[in-house]
Amino acid sequence: MIDNGLLVQMLIGALLGVSVYLPLAAGQLSLATPAFYAVGGTLAALLSTTWPALGAGADGSFPLASFLLELLLGGLLAGVLALLVGRLVLRLQGIYLAIATIALVEIVRVAILNLPFTGGAIGIFGIPQPFPTAAGYLLPALGLLALAGWVCQRLEVMPLGRAMAAIRNDELAARCMGIDTTRVKLTAFVLSAVLAGSTGALAAHFLNTWNARQGSFDTAVTMLAFVILGGSRSWLGPVLGGLLLTALPELLRPVGDVRLVLFGLVILLGPSVFPQGLINPGLLERLGRLGERAEREPQP
Amino acid sequence: MTMPPLLEVQDLTCRFGGLVALDRVSFAVQPGEIFGLIGPNGAGKTTLFNLISGVTTPTAGSVLWRGAPITGLAPHRLNRLGLARTFQNLRLFDGLSVRENLLVALQRRPRSGALAGLLASPSHQQAERQRQETAWQLLEELGLSRLAEREAGTLAYGDRRRLEMARALATGPQLLLLDEPAAGLNPSEKDDLCQLIAALRQRHQLTVMIIEHHVPLLMRLCDRMAVLDFGVRIALGSPEQVRRDPKVIEAYLGSGSVPSASGGAAP
Ligand SMILES: Nc1ncnc2c1ncn2[C@@H]1O[C@H](COP(=O)(O)OP(=O)(O)O)[C@@H](O)[C@H]1O
Ligand SMILES: [Mg+2]
Repeated sequence: MIDNGLLVQMLIGALLGVSVYLPLAAGQLSLATPAFYAVGGTLAALLSTTWPALGAGADGSFPLASFLLELLLGGLLAGVLALLVGRLVLRLQGIYLAIATIALVEIVRVAILNLPFTGGAIGIFGIPQPFPTAAGYLLPALGLLALAGWVCQRLEVMPLGRAMAAIRNDELAARCMGIDTTRVKLTAFVLSAVLAGSTGALAAHFLNTWNARQGSFDTAVTMLAFVILGGSRSWLGPVLGGLLLTALPELLRPVGDVRLVLFGLVILLGPSVFPQGLINPGLLERLGRLGERAEREPQP
Repeated sequence: MTMPPLLEVQDLTCRFGGLVALDRVSFAVQPGEIFGLIGPNGAGKTTLFNLISGVTTPTAGSVLWRGAPITGLAPHRLNRLGLARTFQNLRLFDGLSVRENLLVALQRRPRSGALAGLLASPSHQQAERQRQETAWQLLEELGLSRLAEREAGTLAYGDRRRLEMARALATGPQLLLLDEPAAGLNPSEKDDLCQLIAALRQRHQLTVMIIEHHVPLLMRLCDRMAVLDFGVRIALGSPEQVRRDPKVIEAYLGSGSVPSASGGAAP
């Protein structure tokens, strides 16, 4: 039932979940991920279809190196945009930040819709393929997810990650402990954007066509649902949420139109049964204790 | 005296709308001393700490650090200069463990780069080991080591107070601002705290500013003290001088209690 195409989509969902998680780990409710996803995807779609130097073949093939270069460039462009926008919007707190980032998503969507070279409502077609089948995308998607997970995992034992957690707990106290909170929040925002931008570039090739609808307000809400269902205390939460919630509508396809109702129910009931998400502090603690027992680490 | 004071405030004024929380307050704190701050509730003591630590910007007046102006600097800049504080209404990182609370504050002692951290390079490992070690030392020193892995939000009140102090110390300050560290402690705990503060000053070469309502405790602990009343500094000097000051006696009579060596003011 789960084919390779769906697996790639699930991994893309997990990547976007982590992108929403990163600013949240620093206490910032940003919904800007679809904007950066759209920027990365549009860049990849444009470059691969219009820039001959990248080497797109007449048969729709595409060199792997050019594909990887686009992942890099998509992340880079999104990161630069986040650096510029972040300075402005990150002055806002809580729900105001959420609203400002939704506005950003809409601005980017409308811009892509109306730019003379992005194909309007129809978008960009026939994006060349670095892989002959969907299975080919599994490896780069997994690689990207592994990279993101590794960064998140390292953050937990690094000053930057600890500063993020401190801000999430109490921003004023964090500032008084010497943390440049503006800078830390901006860094988390940029990391989130880079990940979304690269994911967009990957998705553009995978989907073969790209248009302004790829990054819209409702995708922002879906991505937030990944984090809420999965849990936001560890990066594993949004990964699980992204995988599950991307797969669910497809797996429910056989039951017909009821599937959307069921999907809605999961989003509704999930958080009421697991208020802290599927990957919650209690679970993490139990896992941690298992790990400790395995290691039998003496206390320093 | 040729050496400039560690901290000096000059005509510091803070208004909230029509309310004058601090009115042209001036004094200087010398390196190494324990400087007490007393005054009835609402006198502006916490506001003064907020101004010194950069949390609030003064309406007028200036703050000097070793003679150089630091008025209006951001809290993190001031902390990096060597100024750390605790909060009257405890502001711990409740979701983090006790040890992590200290590691947050230790993030620049020593510093290590983000790239080194991501790659787990030897320089990062070395810095991390040092931070962990300092964290354990501080936990030991403040009697918190058995609680190291507990979530800060689950600690008992007295432990939370001490963790606040440990966390401020972890930033490596020269000046430590303590906002009512003894509030809510019983008399024997207060005595312990008193000894702890004196010991910490010795071991960490600290200058301490302390807000405390329990006047006998403060008089025993402090080298000098200032008294605030309705935002005005009404007295300044040694505990003995302050106790005899008619203005102080009047202010405390007005608020219903007299500072003396035997009895305390209202909390
Ligand atoms: N952020 C603020 N906004 C408005 N009024 C404030 C603020 N902070 C303190 N105040 C007022 O300033 C006065 C002094 O408060 P505070 O410094 O907390 O007194 P203390 O610490 O001596 O009890 C009080 O009247 C208080 O209500
Ligand atoms: Mg106060």
